[in-house]
This record gives sequence, C-alpha cells and structure tokens, in this order.
Amino acid sequence: MRILHLGTDSYGGYGGIALYNRELIAAMASHREVSEVVVVPRLVPGEKEPLPAKVTFVEKAARGKLAYMRALRAVKRTGPFEVVVCAHAHLVSAARLFSDRPLLFIYGIEAWKPLRDPVTTHLARRAGAVISISRITLDRFVVWSQYEGPVSILPNSIRAEEYGIRPKNPELMRRYGLEGKRVLLTLGRVVTAERYKGFDEVIEVLPQLAPDIVYLIAGGGNGVAALRRKAAALGVAERVVFTGRFPEHEKADLYSLADLYVMPSRGEGFGFVFLEAMASGVPVIGSRADGGREALQFGALGTLVDPANPAEIRTAIADTLAHPSREIPAGLEYFSFANFERRVHAVLDNV
Amino acid sequence: MARGESSDRRSADCGPEVRAPLMCGIAGVFAYGDGAPAVDGAELEAMNERMRPRGPDGGGVWLADDGRVGLAARRLAIIDLTDEGTQPMTDVDGELRIVFNGEIYNHRELRARLERFGARFHSTSDTEVLLQLYRRDGEAMVDLLHGMFAFAIWDGRARRLFAARDPYGIKPLYVADDGATLRFGSTVKALLAGGRVSAAHDPAGIAGFWLLGSVPEPFTIHRSIRAVEAGTCFNVNASTGRAAARPYYSIAKIFAHAREQESIADLVEPATLLREFITESLRYHLVSDVPVGAFLSSGIDSTALTALAAAAGDPPLAVTVAFDELRGSAEDEAPLAERFAEERGLPHTTRVVTRHEFRADIPGIFDAMDQPTIDGVNTWFVSKAAAETGLKVAISGLGGDELFGSYPAFRALPRLTRLARLPLVPLLARAARNPKAKYVARYARTYAGAYLVKRGLFMPDELPSLMGGDAAEEGLRRLAVIEYIGSKMEPDPRTTFGRVAALESSLYMRNQLLRDTDWASMAHSLEVRTPLVDASLLRQIAPLLLIKGENCKQYFAGSPRPPLPDWLRARRKTGFMVPLQAWADLAPDGTSTRMRSWAQTVADNFGLKFEVRGSK
Repeated sequence: MRILHLGTDSYGGYGGIALYNRELIAAMASHREVSEVVVVPRLVPGEKEPLPAKVTFVEKAARGKLAYMRALRAVKRTGPFEVVVCAHAHLVSAARLFSDRPLLFIYGIEAWKPLRDPVTTHLARRAGAVISISRITLDRFVVWSQYEGPVSILPNSIRAEEYGIRPKNPELMRRYGLEGKRVLLTLGRVVTAERYKGFDEVIEVLPQLAPDIVYLIAGGGNGVAALRRKAAALGVAERVVFTGRFPEHEKADLYSLADLYVMPSRGEGFGFVFLEAMASGVPVIGSRADGGREALQFGALGTLVDPANPAEIRTAIADTLAHPSREIPAGLEYFSFANFERRVHAVLDNV
Repeated sequence: MARGESSDRRSADCGPEVRAPLMCGIAGVFAYGDGAPAVDGAELEAMNERMRPRGPDGGGVWLADDGRVGLAARRLAIIDLTDEGTQPMTDVDGELRIVFNGEIYNHRELRARLERFGARFHSTSDTEVLLQLYRRDGEAMVDLLHGMFAFAIWDGRARRLFAARDPYGIKPLYVADDGATLRFGSTVKALLAGGRVSAAHDPAGIAGFWLLGSVPEPFTIHRSIRAVEAGTCFNVNASTGRAAARPYYSIAKIFAHAREQESIADLVEPATLLREFITESLRYHLVSDVPVGAFLSSGIDSTALTALAAAAGDPPLAVTVAFDELRGSAEDEAPLAERFAEERGLPHTTRVVTRHEFRADIPGIFDAMDQPTIDGVNTWFVSKAAAETGLKVAISGLGGDELFGSYPAFRALPRLTRLARLPLVPLLARAARNPKAKYVARYARTYAGAYLVKRGLFMPDELPSLMGGDAAEEGLRRLAVIEYIGSKMEPDPRTTFGRVAALESSLYMRNQLLRDTDWASMAHSLEVRTPLVDASLLRQIAPLLLIKGENCKQYFAGSPRPPLPDWLRARRKTGFMVPLQAWADLAPDGTSTRMRSWAQTVADNFGLKFEVRGSK
C-alpha cells in the first residue's frame, strides 16, 4: 500500500500539528502492508528529525508555491496511491489531484466553521473519511459541512518517556524569579487575535489567590503587552512572568517548574500541552468548553472548569495547590504512542 | 423507549442515586438580638403549615435547645424511597443545619471534588453537598452552585445564619427582620401566617405593582417583609446582627465583561454554539428519577428546547394548553404545537381550558398567588395540565425572549430614547392617540425611563387615583422607579443589547415570570425547570449574544437537528395568552389586553382597594 501525505508541516516543523503529523506518518509507515509513505510538506522551517523507514520526504516542495506545484506533478508521475492523506483542510484541493476521496484530517478552529473558500468547503464535504483529533471538532465540522461519510477520532499521542517527573531546574527558577513561589503554567502562543487560550481568565483570578502563587506564561507573541497591562491594572504585574519564545530543549524543564498546569481555554481542538504536563507529573486544570475536556478524559485525568466562571477557576486552582502532588496519571496510557499507532492502523485497515 | 433506559444512562457516570424528596417550602426564625423572645415552635409550625400546598407530602421542624433558632421545611415526595435528605438536615457533628428549596444541578461534580479532597458523605442528596461546601468555603460557596435555590444554613459553632438565593431568583426567599428577630420563608404568606409579622401595607411595593404589573423586589406589599434579592446572600450573627446582603451575580456585569470576549464567540457557527451550550444546560436540567415533561407552545423557545431535550435524552411528554375562545386565531398555540409534536414523534397532550374551569379555579389561583401580579394564570393552567398527566417535573422555555433579545423592547428602547430627544415630541405626543405617548418626552430620554414607558402598566401620575394621594406620593418617593430600573444596568453593559437584556432579565423576568411560575407550578406539586434561565449558560453565550443580537433567536431555531421547520419559524410572535378578557369580563381600559382592568381585580383580591378608600 502506498500512502501520500499532504500536510502543512511535519519533519522540521514546530508546534502541535507538525508533531501530530510526524506521529501519524510514523504510525502509518509501521503498518505491515504499507510499502511507502510519500510526504509532501508546504513548510520545513527548522531542522528535520530523522525519518522513519519507508518514508519519502519531498523536502523541495517547501521552497514556495511553484516548487510545491512542481513537486506534486513529480509525485503524481511516480504512480498511484492507495491512500491519500489530506492533513489540513486547506490542502483538500491539492489532495483531490490524487484521489476523489482523500482522508481528511481535522484538528481545531480551522474546521469549526465553513472554510473561507467555497470550493474547498465543497471538497471537504466530499472527503472519503474524516479523521478528527477530537469529538468536539468532529461535531462542529459535521454540522456546517453536512458531511455524512465515515469518521474516526484520533487524539494526540504522547511519548511519556521523554518527559517524566524531574526536579525544578534551579537555573530556570532563578531566571524567572520563581524561588519560593508556587507556579501556575500555561504554554502557548500569546497572540492578540487568539484570545481563547485562557491567559486572561487566569490573570483575572490571580488577585484572589495567595500572594506566593505566580503565573508563568511560556510562549511569545504580539499579545504579551496587553496581558502585561491587564496584570498591572489588577495589581499583579509582579506575579505574571513571561518567558517569551523558549528553546525546544527547555520544554520538559519548563513543565517541571509548574505546580499546576492551567488552561481554561475556549479554542483548543484538543490540547496536546495537557498530555505533556501530565507526562511531567504536573496536575492539570482544563476547559469544559473545548477539546481540553477530551485531553483530560472528561475529568478523569484532571479538573475541568467552565472558562467563563472565574470562581470555578479560582477554586480549582486553590484546591489543587492545597493538595500538592506529583504523579503521572495511569490513565495517560490511553494516549500512548502504541495506542495511537493501533488506532491509525485500524483506520488504514478500514480504507 | 422505556423511560428507565434513559435515567440509567444519565446516572451512569455517578452510579445509582437515590434522590431526596423535593423541599418545596422553607422557613425559619432566628432570635438574634439580646432582648428577643425565644422562638415559638407554634409560630414555626404555622408558617410551615401555610406552605403545605407547596409540599403536601410531609414537613419537618427543628428547634434549637436554647430556643434561639428554629428551621422548618415542607416536602413534596417525587419518589420517596428513603428518609435520606429529609430536612432540616444536620451535618455529622450537628453543628450545621440546613433548609433548602430547589435543585443544585452540579451537585455530583461538587461532591466528587469535595471527596477528592477528603470530604466524606453520608447520603446522596444535594442538600448534604451544600452543607459540606459551606463547611469548606463558607459563603464563597455560592459562586460554585449551578442551579435554582434558596437555602439557609444555621452554623451553631459561629452562631450565625447564612442564607442565599440563586442568581436569577428562580426560587423565592423572603425575610422579616424587626431588629432582634429575623424570620424567613419561601412565601410572603407563610411569614404572615406565623402571626408575629405585621401585615401593614407598603406603598412602595404597591406603587411598584401598579407601575410594572408585579411587585419589584426587594419590596413586597408589606412594610415588614422584604425579598432576598436574586443573586445575593447574607449573614445574621448573634452578636452583630444582620449584615448587608452581598450580591454575587450580576447580569449587567456578565454583559459588560462579555464585550472583551466577542472574538471568542466567532470561532464557531452560532447555531452550533447554541446547540452545544443549551444541550449542556439541558443535560443538567433533565437529571431526574421521574420522567421530565415539557411545556410546548408554538413559539421557537419551547419547540427548539423540546427538540434539543428529545435529542439529549428521552422525548419528553409535551403539554400544550388550548382555549375555545382563541380557536382559529393566531394566538391559538395548539394546532402548530400538535403538528410539531407529530412531526418529531414526541408524546404530546393538548388540554383545553374553559371559562367555567377558570371561574372555578379563581379562588385557588388567588390563594396560591403570593404577591399581586397580572400574570401567572397561563402557568397555572399549563402546570395543572402537566400535573394531571402524572408529571412531577417539566422544563419550560421561559427566558428565551430575554436571552435572545426577542422582546419588542430590544428595538423600542433605543428608538424611544432617540425620539424623546427630538424637539417637537412633547407637542406631537399631546395629539397622539396612544395613552402612553405623552410620557415619551417626560421619561424616555434614558433607557430606564424608556423601559418604564414601554413596560409600564400605569404611569406615575395615574397612581393617586389607584392608591390615594399620600400613599402614591410616599410609594413613588421610596420606590424611585426610574433609579430602581436604572440600577439593573450597573455596571453599564455598554451595549444596547446588554442593557435591555439586563433590564428584561432583572425586572420583568425576575419579578413576574419566574415568581409567577414558582407559585403557579408549586400549587400543582409540579417542579418547573428553566434551562434557558441559567447563570452558567449566560456566561458562556453572552459574547455570542452581543455579536449576533436579535438574530440569535433564529440561530436557536436552527440549532436542533433537523432545524425547526420554516412554517414554525415564520409564525408571528405572540405571548403565551389566556383569554382573560373574556373569562373575567374585564372592562375596557384603553389597552388591547385589558391588563389594567385585570390588575384592579388582582388588587381587590389582595385587599389593596380597601387601602385606597382608607387613605382618601
């Protein structure tokens, strides 16, 4: 079986979707009936990771629009593909060059409303199957697209062995001024146009929390200044710490600085960061109003709050910090790579 | 589908549950002042007895050994399997005692969270959750409650009484505090029945009734009795007395805050967002051991809500009332409701109410009506119809018009405020035929004044003829109706939609619709639940309401799968009408509904006319 993977980024890419694609490609390649997975990326912004066996990575496709079109033509000449993976809704017209019925992967807000371009919307509706990172994204997609074909849920996976419970890194503690403090953490881009991560909501309850509790926001973006202003207006400027963009190799240590990971968001398709926090033994508070509830297994792995209710957020934080614990929940196994791989193989077996 | 299947499914996440009987009326007396006489058990019994129609299946009274405090409750047995949850309830140490009326919809989540941090429970009732939550969080507990409630907790250790009422005021609570003894009860009539509270009339509450058609809280028609305002809680301490009530929920504030979050609401299709959040609200409101029915009219709110409820669980038994006098008119709800139920495969019943039945029920209606109001007769009959089918619980689409901005006031208020500022309006108004026109220039320059003109039953200068000059003067001065209305828009929601929604929800819905639904349904031992009147729901969808405004009603119509049919969505909006005009032989009063005449009938029954003569 030959598989074509058309995605935005994967190897050499940053962020959640690139990681999801790498895991997906690896899981597809490990299927015994798969002979080759050809990956055509739109972007390769960083240094690419080692490729799994049977994976052909057409890196030159990422050099621009023209190069991408050329690469698609060249790939088309290599022969037919039994499975065409369209790993982003915006690439569905490219996928249609190879298959009438591509597998469409959807993640979050990109699939919650009709796509801007009506042709793409029309084509998305005719996908051969839709694989969604979460139930909420699937439900929201199905309503506007009126898609009626086969569907699967394929949540993120976590390689927990790469995290683990570790002591707080003293150098990072010093760098961010966290000594003697209890630390709330949220990881994510701080972008003005994306006010759905829950940064505002956490800052708003900070004044009612004990003064030794600080909020570490790990990520950069154009929204930092506005959050600083909000913190200052609420008298908690000293208690909100921004890391700005941080190097990838510090990520596991950043999680370990936290006494609690909290993200009362409204725009997450799933929330891979929750899995990372749990794999670091950090207790988590997530949102009842978006895909976060699925990452927390509807409350089995952490505390769910209504992001619109400050009292719930405040109480959940205070309760969790009052009973400090460091453990990796057994239920995290549900999101192991082995389970992810089994789910991917089941999708391929059903095609 | 067998009803048991669904209730199994709904409770699957928390294991089997034995529900406590519903507490439908609560009362208490706390002699907090040094000179106050000890609590009289007979008084408490009499107060409790007056609430018997609300809870006909039993009652309980507890009196402290030192005689300083006593609590009482009446109950309605929905399915009474055990004595678990009987009230007044005490905690294991006997330090806390509670009486509670209502439903805490998130009690399982609260229990799970309390248990995770060491709390141990002895029953499955939501009442015990309240006790444990109070033990942990004190009065901050109210911020975590999702439901409709009025409760009072006696904290024996601190010698303090703590009481709270739900954010919207779905469940009633009244107090009478003479400076040494505080009495509370679910009804005004229960407080009076104890015999120790003065029934002297309060011109401010009566003026409010004439102006708005219902008595605006915290006023009642009695000087000695005040409503505990919706969304507030208070403490009474043996040494320091009663502290000022603390507001913990404000509809205006929700709308003010939502302005910052409009971008979030744009992430999802409006109909999808409404379906998700209203279904979530419904899931809470449908948790029950007994079948839950639904009030069904031919309007969008009740039909969409019923369709979403059917998708979330069992199809509810839908109940519609019809009247011969309205047959064939646009106000007749039955034909469209029947067609809708048939198309959706919903079990449905239409109950025809006649003039004869209305006449026969009049004494019962006025006995159950706790405060004068021009509304509630419609809810009386639909509740009666539902109860006759054996239902104990029903959902209602009440609140949809306030939520989705579909009252005329949403458009009229901004127009009136603009109109009132035009230079020639006072002259033109004098020539206009509409009796309210002349008040536009006088009052409608602000939203509060425009609301009075739009919603007002009588205008302030008509009150002397209704209640006597002195009483009207005092009532209007103390009520300060324009300032009173304006206070419901604080903090300023800063949008037209937010302002009008805050006014409609904090005035008409709170003082009239919800209060009337409470007495009219309780009189038939029916618990009415209102999934669209929900503090959590409002917080979640307020940003969407601000960006989509009045279109939200159509999005709501589009939220069930399949969406509501066009023939239903296109229907002209009418209120939930009963043919009062014909039934009660109401005299012409210059209005199409003759509600001014009906108000006088109501006032007669509350003895308010007597006062007019007395004060003249």
